[in-house]
Amino acid sequence: MSTLIARRFLGLVAIALLSSFVVFLIPFITPGDPVRKLLRARMDVGPADAAAVQAYAQQFGLDAPLWRQFLSWVTRFLTGDMGISYTSLTPVFDQVMPATAITLTLAGGAMVVAVLISLALGLVCAVSTGRWPDRVITSFTHALVSIPEYAIAPLLVVIFALKLALLPSAGWAGPASWVLPIVVLALRPISFFTVAVRSGMLDALAKEHIVAARARGLGERRTVLTHVIPHGLLPLWTMMGVWFAGLLGGSVIVEVIFAIPGMGRLVYEAVLNADIPVAQGGVVVVVVLAVVVTTLVDLGHVAFDPTVRSRIRHA
Amino acid sequence: MRRSHARRCNLELWPPLLFITLATLSVVLLPILVPMDPDAQSLANRLEGPSLAKPFGTDHLGRDIFSRIVYGGRFSLAIAAIATIATSTIGVCLGLLSAMKRGWIDEFLTRTNDMLLALPEIVVALLVIAIMGPGFASMIVAVTIMGWTPTARLVRSLSFEILSKDYVEVARHLGCSKWFIIRHHVIPGLASPVMAQTALRFGLLLVGLGALSYLGVGVQPPQSDWGSMLADAQPYAARAPWGLLAPGAAIFIVTLSITLLGNAITHRTGRRDLLLIEANSPDKKASHVQ
Repeated sequence: MSTLIARRFLGLVAIALLSSFVVFLIPFITPGDPVRKLLRARMDVGPADAAAVQAYAQQFGLDAPLWRQFLSWVTRFLTGDMGISYTSLTPVFDQVMPATAITLTLAGGAMVVAVLISLALGLVCAVSTGRWPDRVITSFTHALVSIPEYAIAPLLVVIFALKLALLPSAGWAGPASWVLPIVVLALRPISFFTVAVRSGMLDALAKEHIVAARARGLGERRTVLTHVIPHGLLPLWTMMGVWFAGLLGGSVIVEVIFAIPGMGRLVYEAVLNADIPVAQGGVVVVVVLAVVVTTLVDLGHVAFDPTVRSRIRHA
Repeated sequence: MRRSHARRCNLELWPPLLFITLATLSVVLLPILVPMDPDAQSLANRLEGPSLAKPFGTDHLGRDIFSRIVYGGRFSLAIAAIATIATSTIGVCLGLLSAMKRGWIDEFLTRTNDMLLALPEIVVALLVIAIMGPGFASMIVAVTIMGWTPTARLVRSLSFEILSKDYVEVARHLGCSKWFIIRHHVIPGLASPVMAQTALRFGLLLVGLGALSYLGVGVQPPQSDWGSMLADAQPYAARAPWGLLAPGAAIFIVTLSITLLGNAITHRTGRRDLLLIEANSPDKKASHVQ
């Protein structure tokens, strides 16, 4: 188990470094003079004449080989110095951190809603396979996947905010403003999670150890509670990891529509404004968070699933 | 029991197929058969409701929404189709490569795949567009970088399954070449699961590419697709909701149809577990072998 954790941790560091390297390269591969772009990211006013540019470049080590620049860039990142935004002229770090907190709340809320609803729907499906509740719910989940968020969100705003005046139409101030974005963000996960719960439960019910438990004379209730449900939830657990990681940056659409100052919108606006330092900071934070979440979920999967555990032990 | 199952499959197969054919035909043929100008502005008739002459009403510049849907559909469907073909082709090739070569190539591709799975798709797409600038090519590159992974994972695990079958072993002993085994045993076994997966991917890509256009980093004006039409209509949503409903419904109906089609193909293969392939994690491989 500890070697596994060590291996996963190394993988995590490798992915984080590799993707930061790609992000680090942005100023060098986009059109324009990289040195000037890098200087703009370090000082709030750019030097005008060529001699000054050269002097500053030397002072900041921008004439060093690429790998050394990368190392010092990463070191500065780790200490929280992500450079200065081109547009707001404030440190990127001060913009990234509050945005991360908001996006984590948004994605976390959507996950909780999606898991609760899809557990109920998936269990109903699993106990009624082939009959009408199963068919109705399955069709419903197909419909949910096919609805684009950017079509349903404005419609919900028109209905609930403008016509009924029940909820605020945009912003991130208080629980009432969280409802619409979280609901819209939860729609797709609900449909994927429901399918996962349904098939997980059906798989679990058909497993030999369930038959064995019944043959041993274990009561139906205990069989379901101790053997079917824990086993049947494994696909949901795996999927939750992928989706939570995806929602961290994938909430761009919802954040733009509802004017939520989260991570997705920060990166999106940075890309539109060619604000390289903000885009770099945002992407690196999103990627590292996503990779950490995925790794934790994988480790949790190992801890929960006895068959995976024993396979690792014998490997 | 068997008959009712067959009937359900047909219900899942024919109506979606009809819708997709209808959508494709109208996008390709209508502009040729019926004279329409999607860019003709008429400010006197702006934000008009649906009528006989203009079945979906008009937008904020008085342009006919119906003809804009038809013309916009050309972009939406064509880009999604190109991206689907690109992602599926790359996915199949790399998946086969993994399964046939094994060793470090397989290890490398699988690790890359796991790594990409952890990244948020739309952030990567934004990054690609930041580097390449908006446009058709960067839209396709943006979704292809991430999009090949589910197909590659599917092809890899299915190929491993097929390659461990007795008939492949027999073929090997008979002296058949690797290429022969791929052509005559592996590819026929992959065909329908990959088709099902491709259909599902088309739906997801249609929605995803629409999102890029909606955000203004996809199809650029003066051209427009269903995603950018939604973005244009949003400020007038309360006064003219049909501007949102028409492109929204267009994406919804095509995506739902193609998803159902993918499901119908999957049900014919009798492998319901394949629908879950998207959630495949490195430790889940074993559960695909029944």
